[in-house]
Amino acid sequence: MAHLADPADISPRQVANKSDKKALRDAIRMTLGVQSAAIRHNTQTFNRNRYAATSRLADYNQLKDRARQIKEDAIAHLPELLRQLEASVRANGGHFYLAKTAAEADQYIRDVLLRHQVRLVVKGKSITSEETRLNHALEAAGVTVAETDLAEFILQVADEQPSHIVAPALHYSRERITALFKRKFTTDLPLDTGEELTKFAREKLRQQFIAADAGISGANLIAADSGSLMLVESEGNIRMTTTLPPLHIAIAGIEKVVPSRTDFGTFIELLPRSGTGQPLTSYVSILHPPLKAPSFAAPGKTARPREFHMVLIDNGRGHMREDPVLREALYCIRCSACLNSCANFETVGGHAFGGETYSGGIGGSWEAGTGKLLNARFSELCSGCLRCLPQCPVRIDVPWLNENLRQRINFEQPASAAKSAFGARTGSAPEDRVAPLQKQFFANYDAIARSAMRFPWLANAAMHLPFARSLMESVVGLDRRRRLRPFPRKTWEQVYRGQNGRAPTAESAAPRMLMLADVFTNYGSPERGMAAMRVLREVGVDVGLGPALPDGRSAISQGMIETARQKANAMAQALLPYIDQGIAICVLEPSVLAMLRLDYAHLLDPTTWARFRRGNFLEPMQAVWSVAQEQRLDLARIFPADRSQFGIRVFCHSQCQQRTCEAAGETLSVLAAAGFDVATSSVECCGMAGSFGYKREYYELSMAVGEDLFAQIRAAEQDGPRILVASGTSCHEQLWAGMGRDVLHPAELLLSTLG
Amino acid sequence: MQPAIAQMSLIEEFTAAATQAVASVQLADRSPRALCNAILQAVGDAPRILYAPPHELPAELFSEFAADPRVRANPTPEEMVGSAAGVTEAFAAVASTGSVCIDVSFERTGMVSLLAPLQVAVVAAETIVPQPRDLFRADVLGGRGLERDFAFVTGPSATADMGPLVRGVHGPHRLHIIVLR
Repeated sequence: MAHLADPADISPRQVANKSDKKALRDAIRMTLGVQSAAIRHNTQTFNRNRYAATSRLADYNQLKDRARQIKEDAIAHLPELLRQLEASVRANGGHFYLAKTAAEADQYIRDVLLRHQVRLVVKGKSITSEETRLNHALEAAGVTVAETDLAEFILQVADEQPSHIVAPALHYSRERITALFKRKFTTDLPLDTGEELTKFAREKLRQQFIAADAGISGANLIAADSGSLMLVESEGNIRMTTTLPPLHIAIAGIEKVVPSRTDFGTFIELLPRSGTGQPLTSYVSILHPPLKAPSFAAPGKTARPREFHMVLIDNGRGHMREDPVLREALYCIRCSACLNSCANFETVGGHAFGGETYSGGIGGSWEAGTGKLLNARFSELCSGCLRCLPQCPVRIDVPWLNENLRQRINFEQPASAAKSAFGARTGSAPEDRVAPLQKQFFANYDAIARSAMRFPWLANAAMHLPFARSLMESVVGLDRRRRLRPFPRKTWEQVYRGQNGRAPTAESAAPRMLMLADVFTNYGSPERGMAAMRVLREVGVDVGLGPALPDGRSAISQGMIETARQKANAMAQALLPYIDQGIAICVLEPSVLAMLRLDYAHLLDPTTWARFRRGNFLEPMQAVWSVAQEQRLDLARIFPADRSQFGIRVFCHSQCQQRTCEAAGETLSVLAAAGFDVATSSVECCGMAGSFGYKREYYELSMAVGEDLFAQIRAAEQDGPRILVASGTSCHEQLWAGMGRDVLHPAELLLSTLG
Repeated sequence: MQPAIAQMSLIEEFTAAATQAVASVQLADRSPRALCNAILQAVGDAPRILYAPPHELPAELFSEFAADPRVRANPTPEEMVGSAAGVTEAFAAVASTGSVCIDVSFERTGMVSLLAPLQVAVVAAETIVPQPRDLFRADVLGGRGLERDFAFVTGPSATADMGPLVRGVHGPHRLHIIVLR
């Protein structure tokens, strides 16, 4: 094995650009080794606070709809809005400059500062200025830049890129800041607490505020009708930056423009709550500069008249606007909810799950849009768990953007005869056959399982040869540390037909509910499928097993969108006759349920989707719970928990996509009603997320993500063991890997009560 | 609800939210004496107090306070950056978040509300609105929120950038709000 550098010796800057795969691997090692504890603590605090703060907004969903509408309209009318904004800023007495590139923006700002003979500029946090590398340009021109946001101050001292779009230094623990400051500054102060560190930085920066000739801020939003800025912060440094010096320059991307100051009313409710989870941050400034109030005159100086420049940058945004996928990213208000609700991000942060400027789920689109496509390679860390979906205040489907980036990166790969032949044999769409072997392997799990199931004994024997595992690891990147479950002797379909005859058709003897033979259960665990059907019948649901068809989940997660589209279309054609008749479709595997309910919106043509979405797709425990509610069934009598050989103490982990589909709560309700003592997890994702955790390059990350879940289980078992229950196939494998125990599907647990 | 009762419950909601945001809130009668007492009690033995005269509330209300020898309505730059407390009016407040809205376009109001470790804001009870979004409506408070340069101030300045949550960063370390009945 090649010699690997100590994680502590890898500098964040060195691995900021991840167009090369090795940088991504090194970045994951560095962040797991050095930064992970601080990132977890900080992002998970934001995450908890966001859930609490948004739940207190009575009209949260309407606000999100409104925010989405405002952003869609703004981006649609951007050229007109920019003209209107320019007129507003000039009418206020300010200057307006629209920069096509980052370099143009930097040059304009530098020229303004040099014209005013500015030696020292104080700066509020602006990620856009990180994008343009403004500090570098100014310092090269002899202007001293004082970053005054404490996080940016840390980054400036450490020379690192931001790791988070709202809290750029959240990868630093207090201890690491102390060590950094002691290394970089000579001081007698102890610097051993947050208070001492803050005091040290405050006193240093207070001198700069007083002495500064100019202030540079960003902007969270800009109103075209009045030239107003909305500036969100908690430290007070942005208020200082915009209030004290006579010269104020605001730099922002053109996408920050909304039509009217009245629109701020929507975003002021959503942005702080979605970001740090505060109802409001300490300060939200609403300004249309230049301010009328006089500027600060430092002792011994006279106050100078105010001057304001608004510098907006395009730097690729115009192209993003023309791009049907990247256009979505222009709606982003940079709240960071998609970062904080992402289990992978919570574990490694933006120095691994991020590029030179932007990070997290939405960051890939920004890096690709303002830089090069391959800079978005880190968006591979989006496992498609969908937890960010309900969190986005402007309803951006972030996983879909990342699947598209993955597709584009796949398409940049050179074609090869081997990939092409493998793809043709396993069912990749012709366009997708340039994708790496690993991606085509995981994308076409159904075809691979189907051929293995012709001779399951042979496949099982072969799979367990040590040589086979190392071959699989080197050819398709399937990590050898992962258990591969043996293929069953018979598929779910075969077991079911053996007992019940042919699959029901929509026309004849249609049952009230159709169970989809999803590929994961069909080829992986037919016993779970049979258990679910038995449980449904036990509460009186007439359920029959439907077709065994791939749904496209495994393909879409590899960015093989055309392959996924083919599978989605075949699935839709097979299910539409049932849907049209109002027959409910029950789906055991939550990732497939999410596919049918959510992802197909992107994959089916609009007419088919309009028909398809009328379907009643539900998870088996949802079906049990709704029948029990309707018919007032006593579940404790039907499934008496105390009769289960597993005992009544349960730990139930809800699968990520199941939660996003709002199809998880019923499982907990059913188990509790049956008399089980149910403990549950609060993690966003177990870390396996389909094929993600099986991949050699992500195994360590996946297990590190799982550690939060394993810790919650250990805590819930302090007073005695619990049987592990989960609905997702990949959660089962992750729990097995972390806890070394088998896991039951909730239906199997209920079945155990039937005697 | 009767308007008066609705305003009462807004004051209660405001007080609870501001307290949650680690501000202190005090109700005071609308008289020069009562206001002066309330402010002086809040600033304690501060040797120097910055003061930005009001534009909404009658200046007369602040007359007794302004006569205190420690008060500086026209501070030197040294006094501006070296005083213990800063007193301004707020032209509005927000019940759901416990915020006060400080106009920063008049003379030194922005700096006085920002530079001293203790910030005191005086707000009239009838200018408390239910939610932040109300400041962006033309039919609330005469549309002032759509015209002015102002800051929503919610609690003292704070940061978590140095590890634990620390109150008192570049802005005030404490915020005291006086609501005029």
